[in-house]
Amino acid sequence: MSIRKIVTAGSLESSDVLVTIAPAESNANEVKVESIVIKQFGNRIRKVADEVIAASGLKGAIIHIQDRGALECTLRARLETAISRALAQE
Amino acid sequence: MSAEHFGWEERILFSSKEIAERNALLISRGLNVPENADLIIGLYEGDTLIATGSLVGTVLQGIAVSSQTEGEGAAAAIVSSLIKNAVNRGIQHLFLFSSAQEANRFEALGFSLLASTAQILAFSDFLEGANGAALLEWPTGQIDNWLNSLKPVVEGKPYGSGAVVVNCNPFTLGHRALIEYAALKSPWLYVIVVEEDRSLFPFNVRFELVKKGTADIKNITVLKGGQYVISSATFPTYFIRPKNSEADTVSIAVSLHAALDLILFRRYIAPALKVTDRFVGTEPYCPTTSSYNKMMKKILPAAKGEGVPIRVHEIPRFEIEGAAVSASRVRDLLRSGNIHAIKPLVPETTWQWLTSAEALPVIKKIQHSNSRH
Repeated sequence: MSIRKIVTAGSLESSDVLVTIAPAESNANEVKVESIVIKQFGNRIRKVADEVIAASGLKGAIIHIQDRGALECTLRARLETAISRALAQE
Repeated sequence: MSAEHFGWEERILFSSKEIAERNALLISRGLNVPENADLIIGLYEGDTLIATGSLVGTVLQGIAVSSQTEGEGAAAAIVSSLIKNAVNRGIQHLFLFSSAQEANRFEALGFSLLASTAQILAFSDFLEGANGAALLEWPTGQIDNWLNSLKPVVEGKPYGSGAVVVNCNPFTLGHRALIEYAALKSPWLYVIVVEEDRSLFPFNVRFELVKKGTADIKNITVLKGGQYVISSATFPTYFIRPKNSEADTVSIAVSLHAALDLILFRRYIAPALKVTDRFVGTEPYCPTTSSYNKMMKKILPAAKGEGVPIRVHEIPRFEIEGAAVSASRVRDLLRSGNIHAIKPLVPETTWQWLTSAEALPVIKKIQHSNSRH
């Protein structure tokens, strides 16, 4: 399902993550990851994001993840909330 | 984690008491109080305001944390809240003004630095003691998208092109003379029209009149200025008519905004367009534009600083019978209803538009407005 509007979930506070989902020009998804612990956990963040996004059926979106050291459960929760907000606009 | 966990309460500030507290906090941190804020947010610890931030159009400004609360994450809470509020209003692309020294704190919050007066060495000399400023954007990569969109335009054009940036409110023989001269001196010329729709003539009219009025010149491309050339993000004070009582503070703000706009031009726009020369008309009337031109001659050609030095050519204003032909003069004549005196000042294409039915609402607006633009 594609989206039309930009949405966010989470925050930039310490131990949280801000997930922003915006419409992309193509039908593919693009995931951008920024993290204060990119060296240690960059790959894991990407893997979790890909997994949650694939399970949701989201398409044609730019998913921007700004991580401030969130736990994996926080990351999943923020991703799921942002995706459900993005898809709720249909 | 939300702010409440620390005993902080987030409020949207409305009352005159809250606004006064916020202004006092900004001033105590040495910051200017932004005008025309669409939204002002504050964090309270009990009855004490400990942090604040404002949304002005698409720009985050006036972000400050009290000295007692620094380092506890209040700035992150404020910025997060401003982003969420902006996104809820449908804004996808945000800018942020900060002092040059604090820009890195906002970079840590996911903003990317576009321009900082710290990038121009010896800038302090230009500003006569004022604090430097920086402009950042969110999310990252927006300027790259815009520069990429210019690639098809630039393809096949020569290195060493010229550029003029014009508002053309409306297009006159003065603009025409500047563009003719610049096109003669350059292998290719980009005419960049300020896109911000805050002038008396709407952008689409200004843009069309420039295109029509220069259609016979073969080596030029007329471009939209977008958000990175004199916009309310890069240069908000360009569009404001200063009150006389505030002339000093405004002149510092104008210098800072002008500097950031010119650093953007030098760092991103000129390299993307392969531009090495910028042409500008002398400014006899408007103090804002005259201050911008002054700053241009210092920043663009400077040997040190990011990007390639750009030559600035300042061309005397085109005159008819000893008086400079300018758009502000045309607007004054429209305001006083002296339409026929305009004919010798503008190209035939502009004259046709001014005497068309389409122009009536614009002329009416000018006659009822006191705006500088």
